[in-house]
Amino acid sequence: MTNAVAGLGLAPDAAMVTFPIEMFLPGSDISPVQARKREFYDGLTTWRSTLAADGSGDAPMIRVEGSSVEDTFARANYLMLANRWGDGLPLWPPTRQRVDWILGGTAQPRRRRLGTLPPRGGVTTIESCAIALAMAGGRPEYLPVLVAAVEAFLDAESGSAQLQAASGSAFPVVVVNGPIGAAIRLNSGFGCLGPDPQRPAGASIGRALRLLQQNLGGALPGIGTMANYGGLRYTNVVFAEDEANLPAGWAPHGTERHGFAPGTSSISLAFANGAANIRRRGAKKETPEEDALQGMYRMADFMRVPNMPGLAGYEDGTPGILMLPGVVAQTMAGLGWTKASIRQFLWEHSRIPAAELRRAGCPAWIEIDASKVVRESIDLDPWPITASPDNFVIVVAGGGHPTNSYWLQGYSPGVVGRPIEPPPDLDRLLADAERDLGPR
Amino acid sequence: MASLEFHDPSGAIEVKQSHAPRVDALAGKRIGFVSNEQWQAYRMLPLLKTLLETDFPGVEVLPIDAFPQGNAVIGSEETAALVKASGVDAVIIGNAA
Repeated sequence: MTNAVAGLGLAPDAAMVTFPIEMFLPGSDISPVQARKREFYDGLTTWRSTLAADGSGDAPMIRVEGSSVEDTFARANYLMLANRWGDGLPLWPPTRQRVDWILGGTAQPRRRRLGTLPPRGGVTTIESCAIALAMAGGRPEYLPVLVAAVEAFLDAESGSAQLQAASGSAFPVVVVNGPIGAAIRLNSGFGCLGPDPQRPAGASIGRALRLLQQNLGGALPGIGTMANYGGLRYTNVVFAEDEANLPAGWAPHGTERHGFAPGTSSISLAFANGAANIRRRGAKKETPEEDALQGMYRMADFMRVPNMPGLAGYEDGTPGILMLPGVVAQTMAGLGWTKASIRQFLWEHSRIPAAELRRAGCPAWIEIDASKVVRESIDLDPWPITASPDNFVIVVAGGGHPTNSYWLQGYSPGVVGRPIEPPPDLDRLLADAERDLGPR
Repeated sequence: MASLEFHDPSGAIEVKQSHAPRVDALAGKRIGFVSNEQWQAYRMLPLLKTLLETDFPGVEVLPIDAFPQGNAVIGSEETAALVKASGVDAVIIGNAA
């Protein structure tokens, strides 16, 4: 609770009086306020902070002993779970040797400070990224991607300060563009959001980001994050755009959204809180034009729901990230579709009649929103789910099969881009990866 | 016997801004509310106002709408300036959930 409240902008150890959630519901019994009034009075008078200034950024070393290598490894893992540093799956203990190996992926000084991770406020450095990546089974060549993602995460525009603690189960989505993706075996094809023993980069980087969110940011379930469900939080979502299958004339996402020159290695970070497969392909004798158009309607219809998390990114963020397989993108491009025309179609056909908004109680959420653009949108009928077609993120990724697309429902005040600084000795690191993971 | 030495992954905490000093007593003080208008704040905070006024002679508790309300505005510098200008001795902020 302490960390969750801090996520709303208060100091991590602010004087608080906390109650079970039931008291905050409509029609609740609020007599506990009277019963515990002394705690309010003490908070105004006798309370003192227990935090002392530190800020060194150093991570102390911990020693574990066991009867054998296996026993010691197990004890180290149990200790990390007991200290709430793990995610329940086996971890690589971040030994000095392993962390130093990971740090070989960057020329940046290990003590370089990236910021403090909300809500707990843990000091975040290059070294702390390397520690998390070591725990997550990562490799040195992944470190620059993680660092760029952490920088974007810590950018106030991302909304992470509130989303870390909020109940809406936000998870970061990191889209990688440029040659670094394929080089480090970041998946952009079949199963790119899931496990892949030959392309483990996305899982490791996303898991490391999650460990940072938890261990430095304090986002523990029910303590630092009030996420009701917390889906997709083991590894977050990290994948590469399938640039090899981008149709001619379709710009990479990093270029379209952030203005990076094509060929620039970069990340783009947004938050989502839902993920759904959309069966977009026809089943009988559709013409290519019908197949494309019906699929577009099916996707827009799926988005046409009065889902209030979309308000978070209504003005400048995103209603979501739509992933289209390369084979679909190629076919649609052949019929004249572009990323821009797809966005325009989705924007027009995902609008919601005002009557449907009213019956679902949405106007109340729209009226109290911080954004003037959102508040004024209440006059629009049908109501667009986002202020501008440009807010939709369209990414070409997924296996070479035409049946499905994928929708990551946005809960994202901003979409933040960062260039990736490639490792100083990438060729050697890739040769090591070839040795360790096997040939591509 | 085997051993492993590894980094504590929880890092360090930095305190950049200290908390406001507490008041020595509540009697005779001026107390304000900053409300986000959510989670039954409209019921709980007035109850707290009544309790304070009953328990502490001479205390002045401002109404819950004395300052701008709502998540969109309570964290702003403008609201902070209004609170400061009001001359309150202490502020209660609510409600989070």
